[in-house]
Amino acid sequence: MLSEQTTAVDSPPLIPINYKPMRMRIESITVETSDVKTFRLGFCDEEEGASFDYKPGQFGLYSVFGAGEATFCIASSPTRKGYIECSVKRAGKVTADLHQSNVGDIIGFRGPYGNWFPIDDMKGKNLLFIGGGIGLAPLRSLFWNVLDWRDQFADVSILYGARSVADLVYKTELEEWKQMDGVNTVWTVDPGGETPEWDGKVGFVPTVLQEMNPSAENTVVITCGPPIMIKFTVATLNQLGIPLENVITTLENRMKCGVGKCGRCSVGSQYVCKDGPVFRCSELAQLPQEY
Amino acid sequence: MAEHKIYQASQDWLKRAVEALTAAGLEVQAPVEDETGGVALKQVESADAIATDYLNLLVPLKRIFFPGTEVILEFENDEDGGVTLNDPPELPDGGVVVFGSRPCDAAALDVLDRVFQWDYDDVPYRTRRDRTTVVSFACTKPDATCFCTSVGGSPQGTLGSDVVAFAATDGGALLQVCSEKGEKLIEQLGDIVTPAPADAALPEAPDVPTLFHTDRVKAWLDENFESDFWRGATLNCVGCAACSYLCPTCHCFDIVDEAAWNKGERRRNWDCCSFGLFTLHASGHNPRPDQAARYRQRVMHKFKYFPERFDAVACVGCGRCVRTCGMGQSLSRTVAAIEANAEVGETTSA
Repeated sequence: MLSEQTTAVDSPPLIPINYKPMRMRIESITVETSDVKTFRLGFCDEEEGASFDYKPGQFGLYSVFGAGEATFCIASSPTRKGYIECSVKRAGKVTADLHQSNVGDIIGFRGPYGNWFPIDDMKGKNLLFIGGGIGLAPLRSLFWNVLDWRDQFADVSILYGARSVADLVYKTELEEWKQMDGVNTVWTVDPGGETPEWDGKVGFVPTVLQEMNPSAENTVVITCGPPIMIKFTVATLNQLGIPLENVITTLENRMKCGVGKCGRCSVGSQYVCKDGPVFRCSELAQLPQEY
Repeated sequence: MAEHKIYQASQDWLKRAVEALTAAGLEVQAPVEDETGGVALKQVESADAIATDYLNLLVPLKRIFFPGTEVILEFENDEDGGVTLNDPPELPDGGVVVFGSRPCDAAALDVLDRVFQWDYDDVPYRTRRDRTTVVSFACTKPDATCFCTSVGGSPQGTLGSDVVAFAATDGGALLQVCSEKGEKLIEQLGDIVTPAPADAALPEAPDVPTLFHTDRVKAWLDENFESDFWRGATLNCVGCAACSYLCPTCHCFDIVDEAAWNKGERRRNWDCCSFGLFTLHASGHNPRPDQAARYRQRVMHKFKYFPERFDAVACVGCGRCVRTCGMGQSLSRTVAAIEANAEVGETTSA
């Protein structure tokens, strides 16, 4: 909803809907966890690839032809050109077929759709990323974008938690970020999810956040994770004095069309696919709790 | 168009119109009684089978523009992991004339236009809209389930129609032209129609009682997303979606692949917010976890969210949902109860 609401009255010219996806070749597959894989996709059509642009936080509809389409964010940063990445948890028909795909296989992508993280408004601010589980995927797009423009932001911190060590995604990058200068990293797993070798925190994300005690001064929080984590994280941020306007999240409602027609992602009078997926928590507070 | 021009036609006008338009290469759709006794739009080449005595079409006019299922993509998987994609076959570009929709169904096109034509142009819908002329038949015998007057309509409403036809006392018809497409149709009809005399009067509208007022309903909805009313008022809904499929304004759809062996097609099919699967997340979380939440969405969408977003109530009062529900779940009674709640400041009873 971060951009101005558009209505039927003031919206010309219209963009013709094209349900025909771009053909994408699977360039590499990274096994993240027992049920999450990250796919790097290259454009079969060079011209499509050259003209493709997006902003961090946008999403698309990924196709396995014969199984159908499913919605995922673009998990890579727009500062890295020539490919996109998506991280997919095996949960249903399309995701199961994707998980069985091989490098070289052709899948479909249409997008980018939706709004994006207001990265320009974040310049000069302290950024605190808070991710849970596979919810790190949309944050990763923005996080790499921020790292690639590192000098334009003040402090950059990231708190990431998963149920167990085995459920942490992007393990190689977690290590890479930890070694980086100018990034404050905190990794945690839920109690009971640790291993003997685990050197991160043990505790739920909101608890660890409380211990971190980040300054509310000039701080923008970007968070994504399971609904229950978001709920308690937002409550903790509130206690820490960070206003809801400065807490930005991204919704993952079920979608089909991606362009404000099919009605599936509606929350109140908002379309998550058009007015979101990125919302300020102060905006979400005005909407029915249907996400 | 401020003033609607009126034409008159003799008793056999429909027969002659169907013949003339068919001869001119147009596709004519008209109400025909089917084996169940219901009336459905079918392509006709003569007026012989056209039904004239019916309350309304069984399936609303929307299906002419937004079919229950349509192909949006064709695909073929190769043996080496590649895939060939093709657009669906193009729609025929010839004109279509629909006779016999009711004013409520035509008014629903105004609702559908708003959602299919904002920000993104829904090309299949718009293509069908552009090539189709709608000739509605004004209602003479609405029944007790009709409530068009409660949602801003009328048994003689012109919104969404290109022409509205009225039965004249001499057995002929009076045709009220409501759009440029309607003007063009009148030209195509040639000597089948003639301008009506200046003193020609349209028949008086039959009475359709007003059951509620949408502004008062919305005022209550604005404050009562959380209310015990919803559970009590929605217990009869079993989530079968019949009301939605037969609703002239409901427009939610699903996108699915239908494939056999290595090739297939991607279709968009009517869907419904009454289904639990409609909003179910991959994680198992469901933002609308029970039938009360889903029926509330149906009411909220029609009477609060759609008006906020698109400046129109997404209900035209055709009464199909009331007539069709096997469980007796009545939208008009539910909404009238909401208005009654609003009047007594009540939030907890059905």
